[in-house]
Amino acid sequence: MTHFLEFAGIKHYFGAVKAVDGVSLTVKQGEVFSLLGPSGCGKTTLLRICAGFQHPQEGRVILNGVDITELPPEKRKVNTVFQNYALFPHLDVFENIAFGLRIAKRSAVDVRQEVERMLDLTDMTEHARKRVVELSGGQKQRVAIARALVNRPQVLLLDEPLAALDLKLRQRMLVQLDSLHDEVGITFLYVTHDQGEAMSISDTIAVMNRGKVEQTGSPAEIYEAPRSSFVAAFIGDTNFFDGVVKEIDGDYSLVAIEGLGAVRVFNDKQLKVGGAVHLSLRPEKIHLTVAEPPAESSRNISRGEVEEIIYLGSATKYWVRVGDYRLAVNRVHRRFGLDEKPIRWKDLVWLSWHSDDGYMLERYSEADEELLSLPDTETETEPLAVDGDSHE
Amino acid sequence: MSKLNGRLRGINLGELMLTLPSLGWLMVFFILPSLIIFAIAFRTADAYGGIGDSWTLETILRLVNPNYPGIIWRTIWLSVSNTVICLAVSIPVAYYLARMDRRWRQWAMLLVVVPFWTNFLVRVFAWKTLLHTDGTLRHFLVWTGILGADQPLLYNSGSILLVLVYTYLPFAILPLYAAAEKFDFNLLEAARDLGASSPHAFFSVFMPGISRGIVTASIMVLVPSLGSYVIPEMLGGVDSDMLGNKIAQYVYTERNLPRASALAAVLILTVLIPLLGMMYINNRRQTRDRKEITDTLSHHTGIRA
Amino acid sequence: MKRSLFPGLTLVFCLVFFYLPLAVVVVGSFNDSRFGGDWRGFTLKYYNQLLRDREIRGALENTLVIAFWSTLTCMVLGTMAAFALHRHRSRLQFFHLSLIYSPLVAPEILMGISLLLFFGAVGADLGMTTIYLGHVTFCLSYVAMTVLGRLQDFDFSLIDAARDLGASSWTATRKILLPVIAPGIIAGGLLAFTLSLDDFVVTFFLSGAGSKTLPIYIYSSIKRGSTTKLNALSAILLVVTFLVVIISHFTAGRLDRSEKTKEAKASG
Repeated sequence: MTHFLEFAGIKHYFGAVKAVDGVSLTVKQGEVFSLLGPSGCGKTTLLRICAGFQHPQEGRVILNGVDITELPPEKRKVNTVFQNYALFPHLDVFENIAFGLRIAKRSAVDVRQEVERMLDLTDMTEHARKRVVELSGGQKQRVAIARALVNRPQVLLLDEPLAALDLKLRQRMLVQLDSLHDEVGITFLYVTHDQGEAMSISDTIAVMNRGKVEQTGSPAEIYEAPRSSFVAAFIGDTNFFDGVVKEIDGDYSLVAIEGLGAVRVFNDKQLKVGGAVHLSLRPEKIHLTVAEPPAESSRNISRGEVEEIIYLGSATKYWVRVGDYRLAVNRVHRRFGLDEKPIRWKDLVWLSWHSDDGYMLERYSEADEELLSLPDTETETEPLAVDGDSHE
Repeated sequence: MSKLNGRLRGINLGELMLTLPSLGWLMVFFILPSLIIFAIAFRTADAYGGIGDSWTLETILRLVNPNYPGIIWRTIWLSVSNTVICLAVSIPVAYYLARMDRRWRQWAMLLVVVPFWTNFLVRVFAWKTLLHTDGTLRHFLVWTGILGADQPLLYNSGSILLVLVYTYLPFAILPLYAAAEKFDFNLLEAARDLGASSPHAFFSVFMPGISRGIVTASIMVLVPSLGSYVIPEMLGGVDSDMLGNKIAQYVYTERNLPRASALAAVLILTVLIPLLGMMYINNRRQTRDRKEITDTLSHHTGIRA
Repeated sequence: MKRSLFPGLTLVFCLVFFYLPLAVVVVGSFNDSRFGGDWRGFTLKYYNQLLRDREIRGALENTLVIAFWSTLTCMVLGTMAAFALHRHRSRLQFFHLSLIYSPLVAPEILMGISLLLFFGAVGADLGMTTIYLGHVTFCLSYVAMTVLGRLQDFDFSLIDAARDLGASSWTATRKILLPVIAPGIIAGGLLAFTLSLDDFVVTFFLSGAGSKTLPIYIYSSIKRGSTTKLNALSAILLVVTFLVVIISHFTAGRLDRSEKTKEAKASG
């Protein structure tokens, strides 16, 4: 079924705050669907509306063909994994998982079998009789998942399930969650503010901002073809340019960018000459070299001065001054980094990028530039004596 | 060097100096007098209302007197009923207060705390006025037909219980609120999410969640009400004596201190039962217990209300 | 999710229950009839009589003197006790803590009669001093526990921070610890003061000639049935209580503001 879970025109305001402002989404059966956005974007409110903790002021929630908008939470075939897990502190692991089954008045044998199955699935069998306070973060998380899944919900709602864990554990749990999804095949509605998490686990992502859905699509679509400056800037890092179409050359167009010059980009929006253009260009798509690259009609080439360098281990991030722009460039280290002749502060370098890599945005807002990771341009801070070497 | 000298059989001198004043005070003015009660219960009375010189078992033996079991029984059932009613009212109130909007909650807490700060005798006097034979309330009740024309509101076990509840309700609300305030209300949502109805979630998740508060509240109501003296004396009738005012009667009316001591000893033993019960329960989760009381007190005083 | 109305209604019921008798007393204090049966017109004559009553003035004076000294003693002893309990974890402190707990729950009448017997046994004359000793005994624990609560919430890394920034141990205690726990000491003192003002049972057992306090005056008036001035006296006490609670609430609120904004942030 393609329309397994549907949100139709959901609106929910808290006073003057438009938490959810007209959201319509469809979730396919069995997929992992993520609601991704910064805090306060309305993703959690939408999840709570789906769970039944909040009643939307407008709109319907339809699950498997049934309108569940008016149902109280206990009557919905959805279960939630809460952000802080919300495990019952007065019950042990086993009884936490059994809670829903006991309320459904299942037989003692059933309860034991089902709970043991879930304990096994989440690898918690040996901790069955532990008290909640004795568990580690990762274990609590697994109990929370088991407690929800044991009721065989039609949709499992996960509210920032990994937010409380540290980085390494988060990565491990993400893999476990993914394989768990493959095993149970239940539809997941996954709320997160972490784009990496959403990218790696989701089949479909809906990026939300200020109560509205900015874009829905597969992780690759969202990353490679962002529709708005918000999506481009919130997911990964990017460079923005404003310009005007000057010439059209088949599928490509020559765009004049004030303070940078003319660049050639793929014209997927079929803009006419004179049309305003907002471009997004991912830092890793820009090729940085010390030597001048050979001229190629499909590549844009410019020369600039390195203004800032951040070494990231797997890659190095450079900010290069080209005309009025300061471009973020990512360069992955393919060889042993210490062998390469290092690029230093104030070096002149060449930048080149393929005409297909600059992506035209439908909507642009200057406020979204705030989301980009830029070095502080206002104040040139005095370098500390200890690591001033990059400024030589 | 000084550290070495400052240690006296493993006890730090600084610790001793900090501890001794309060410890000494309570030993002299609390523990010692309590022990005296047990001693005097075995002494004879003299003719002038004082304590005689010889020892006797008579006073203790007279406790079997048919009057006493009745008084002890009434004391216990009034105190237990009082505790049950106070809990039944306070638990929903604490729940509501804890979920209230922060701004309103401050004012609501203030309103709950004020009666606790009001002079106890003023409160008793207020009820005496309200329940008085010629009082508005009784006139109203007779007029509506709820009360017969010759039925009094005062001077029976009912009026004692009413005013006990009135007096001890804040003592139940405050510890329960302190517990409810720390309760994670997401747990109720989790229970609903797993299929529990709203009342079911309340009983199976909220109540166990505030169990420590319930224990503290029970003790704070039950123990002092077992020793009630003014309320039964002012609002009770001839047949509704409790242990407390019987003790006072022996001191002031019959001037028989050994007999008063014997009854006081009975009261101490009665009070020890719930206290030991609480210690048994708290033993299993000892460390949190003292936080419970300090938190409750901070609500008493209105700080961080 | 819809919320049940029941808990809210219970609170409203509670507040009505709390304030109904108090309201009757206040109204009665202006009523020109002995019991609040009928309204016989507005009068201030009881307040007039009250102001001219020497006995009440004497009782009030006694009450305040006892409350003042016992509060002062309790603040010193209680704060010391709290520090001992917080800083040390010895067997002595376990015993100390149990001892501090006990008066919190012990029925007052037991304290009253045991102290009466005790003072009788040591041959002390009953009066202001014995009342003071009794009041300190049951107020001490309240101050100790209130201060202890404050100490438990205190972040002792602040002391380390102060030491790190060059403060001596004593300066750190004076400039950092004391201001933070001061509201606890004040609150405990306020509690002790009110409990002492309010106390009837212990006072009754320990009072002798010339040591009549306000609660004892009220008690004997009710007993004698001469309650004409009582409504007015109660009304005044009520108003004073309200003012004191509200003022202390807001002063405490101000002393405590940093903590509250912290909490508000955490919850918001």
